[in-house]
Amino acid sequence: MMTNYGNRVTQGQFSFLPDLTDEEITAQIKYALDNKWAVNVEYSDDPHPRNTYWEMYGMPMFDMEDPAGILMEINECRKTFPNCYIRVMASDATRGTESVKMSYIVNRPSVEPGFNLVREERNSRSQGYTILPYACNKPEGERS
Amino acid sequence: MSDTTETEENEAPKIVLPDDTPVDLQKELRLSNVQEVLDQLDKELIGLKPVKTRIRETAALLLVDRVRNKMDLSASSPTLHMSFTGNPGTGKTTVALRMAEILHRLDYVRTGQLVTVTRDDLVGQYIGHTAPKTKDVIKKAMGGVLFIDEAYYLYKPENERDYGAESIEILLQVMENNRDDLVVVLAGYKDKMDTFFYSNPGMRSRIAHHIGFPDYSAEELMAIAKLMLAEQNYRLSEEAAKALFEYTKRRMTMIHFANARSVRNALDRARLRQANRLFNSAGKAVTKVDLMTIEAEDILASRVFQEGSLDLDGDEGADVEPVVES
Amino acid sequence: MADNEVKGKERYKSGVISYKSMGYWQPDYEPINTDVIAMFRLVPAKGVDPEEVAAGVAGESSTATWTVVWTDRLTACELYRAKCYKCDLVPNTGPGTETEAQYFIYIAYDMDLFEPGSIANVTASIIGNVFGMKALKSLRLEDMHFPVAYLKTFDGPATGIIVERERMDKFGRPLLGATTKPKLGLSGRNYGRVVYEALKGGLDFVKDDENINSQPFMHWRDRFLYCMEAVNKASAATGEIKGHYLNVTAATMDQMIERAEFAKELGSVIIMIDLVIGYTAIQSMAKWCRANDMILHLHRAGNSTYSRQKNHGMNFRVICQWMRMAGVDHIHAGTVVGKLEGDPAMIHGFYDVLRETKNEVNLENGIFLEQDWASMNKVMPVASGGIHAGQMHQLIHHLGEDVVLQFGGGTIGHPQGIQAGATANRVALEVMIQARNEGRDYLAEGPEILQKAAKTCAPLKAALDTWKDITFNYESTDTADFVPSATTSN
Repeated sequence: MMTNYGNRVTQGQFSFLPDLTDEEITAQIKYALDNKWAVNVEYSDDPHPRNTYWEMYGMPMFDMEDPAGILMEINECRKTFPNCYIRVMASDATRGTESVKMSYIVNRPSVEPGFNLVREERNSRSQGYTILPYACNKPEGERS
Repeated sequence: MSDTTETEENEAPKIVLPDDTPVDLQKELRLSNVQEVLDQLDKELIGLKPVKTRIRETAALLLVDRVRNKMDLSASSPTLHMSFTGNPGTGKTTVALRMAEILHRLDYVRTGQLVTVTRDDLVGQYIGHTAPKTKDVIKKAMGGVLFIDEAYYLYKPENERDYGAESIEILLQVMENNRDDLVVVLAGYKDKMDTFFYSNPGMRSRIAHHIGFPDYSAEELMAIAKLMLAEQNYRLSEEAAKALFEYTKRRMTMIHFANARSVRNALDRARLRQANRLFNSAGKAVTKVDLMTIEAEDILASRVFQEGSLDLDGDEGADVEPVVES
Repeated sequence: MADNEVKGKERYKSGVISYKSMGYWQPDYEPINTDVIAMFRLVPAKGVDPEEVAAGVAGESSTATWTVVWTDRLTACELYRAKCYKCDLVPNTGPGTETEAQYFIYIAYDMDLFEPGSIANVTASIIGNVFGMKALKSLRLEDMHFPVAYLKTFDGPATGIIVERERMDKFGRPLLGATTKPKLGLSGRNYGRVVYEALKGGLDFVKDDENINSQPFMHWRDRFLYCMEAVNKASAATGEIKGHYLNVTAATMDQMIERAEFAKELGSVIIMIDLVIGYTAIQSMAKWCRANDMILHLHRAGNSTYSRQKNHGMNFRVICQWMRMAGVDHIHAGTVVGKLEGDPAMIHGFYDVLRETKNEVNLENGIFLEQDWASMNKVMPVASGGIHAGQMHQLIHHLGEDVVLQFGGGTIGHPQGIQAGATANRVALEVMIQARNEGRDYLAEGPEILQKAAKTCAPLKAALDTWKDITFNYESTDTADFVPSATTSN
């Protein structure tokens, strides 16, 4: 079990708060849509902090008027991958940004075993560090 | 932390209003600004008496429902899905636009947007193609009204492997589960729609409001023509008006007649002929009035008069398929 | 052309003539798009004509000396001569007020007066000689404008806000940091403890203080080794990317590079330098960071010696400009609500210069000259000094989301320990961002929002109770000369 606050992976904007309700997620999606950002849903069973590319659950949703459609997508992703991390991201295409503006977790596996910190002895007291998620001990596709 | 006091604090106190609580429906109507939309509908659409009455009744029902809801008298959110049946050019899209506005003002939908689609937007050509297509349309329409024109083409009984059925399945789910998020309007010819509902009882049972759009009379079509021309700063000479009335009466009996749309097409061609006439009258001085006036000859040149038939290269009825309302 | 300008043969006769008549005062001149523009606040010496001093400033910061030289005539001297083209009395100064007359003077310099890509060279001209001229009583550099062509000779920030966020995998909220305290005296082992606790508790960064280099109580290598142990351990404990600004400031350039190389070898994502190392050293470190994928944090140590007083020195906003060009990724730029100098409007001006793609003239925030940043990366401002979780709503309101909020005392001084301190800050931050996104009036409802979150977060409750209403309400010395007419500023 992880021993940090909340005993959980704390990536994303709202990991220190109680899990967001559908209503709270809708409010966040609305904020993204009001800013004309495209929203997409991603899932992964590998919570390594440098695992940048989670699987996309469908394409980013452009030109949406209302959050309900996106919430529907989130709930379908939850149904399909109940034991994965699922995050909602928003992308801003404005010049000078052209990057991610929001990222928050909306689903977690029932157990979050955390990470193993592996040290490698190097010259003159230096250490090399490797972080290994326990969740990835099994091969891809056999994890949940 | 004392959790019990917490919940008590957060729970809204239950107030049961006495039975003689006064209700000011006029005030509710004013506050919702729905009257404005109804007036606009009256102004921009000629005739269509029965449709307007139905819309007015529906608006009243929704308004009362809303007030009942505020007083805790409603059990569940009402079904709002509708079907609009009638021939092409009878104002179904325009009415759908206003309906979306009315639903928005009464807080039944959040955005008031109208997304108009046909079978091609919903149904794919390969396995696995249809569900994402339909879902994509649904996601975009969320919070507003989804208008499916010629909805019966979704169902092709002659081909049991048609992907349309998959689309209908998804639509049915959303129409049931996301009643607060989306209102679906199915539109098309009356007889085909009846067949469609007969073979798709699931659809039929989820449609609460059926609204029929009658054809326009020749007089109404004349009024529509005048309105259209006025918008573009044209007008008919006295003779031209007579000619157009005659034209309309003849045209109504021919195939592929599409009510207001046929009138619009006829006027477009009349403008073309007018321009040609003015251009060929070289030497004669042309005035502003000439530029604005459609003469009888601009209308009488139509094949409807010449041969009593339709011109297949651009005149009436060039489309062999039924005219699609857009 | 000024009326009293001397032209032709007479201009170059040996002897002394006024700066104005030498051509440094050109009231009809209109700047062109290859001009660098500098705007100063000038107080002339008693009884001296302000336009003559203004021309003197233009002259001495470009081609002039005190007497006529014939060698001018071997050059395109009319091009190289800086031109003072405007000299306006500052509002609320001069006759009829309690303040002696001050003038805003605008000077245009052809960009060929400056070496491409060199802040050192720009500063040698603009603030090199002129601040000591006897003809003036005091002088302050208020604002500058650089043409895009000249700006493009600078690399700018190696990382910038956008890429830093992508690299750190942190979006849509301010980043959180803290400076290790006490500033001096901790051993390497104890120092790393503070870093680990703060990062595990929820901060994104911890920071060396400006004067932590390599002292008898802690050798720099020890600090680097223990801090990186702390960073990696915290990363594994949370699943987040974490960092510690390793201060590489040292006596010589070689030593700084040596320390930076060691930080890189240990896998640090960020290093740190102090403003006092000088513009050349800063630019060198920026180039090193660009070549080594390193975020560069700049502590503005020393700036208040010349940026704080309103009548003499230079505006900190211009330092922000220079540092964006020089290529730092972070710079301390004020908190509005904390313990260090900072008028809200002025600080908005600093933040705009660091973060916008274009600055329009905005007199209320002290921006006198428009600046197109020509796609140069944005610098992440750092708010540090006397701030705590209870001010979260104000901080987000004033500073926005592209900022590092540094709660040093507000983390380490927490009654339940450093981890709890960090957690309190992170919870306060997340709940306030959530409220902002939900469209709530979070500035007004801030205290209530925090209290509600504290009900399920004991560390936040303790933080709010401890620092209840701590604020630092002193009057700022550097304030705007222009206030919106509809409202009054305090």
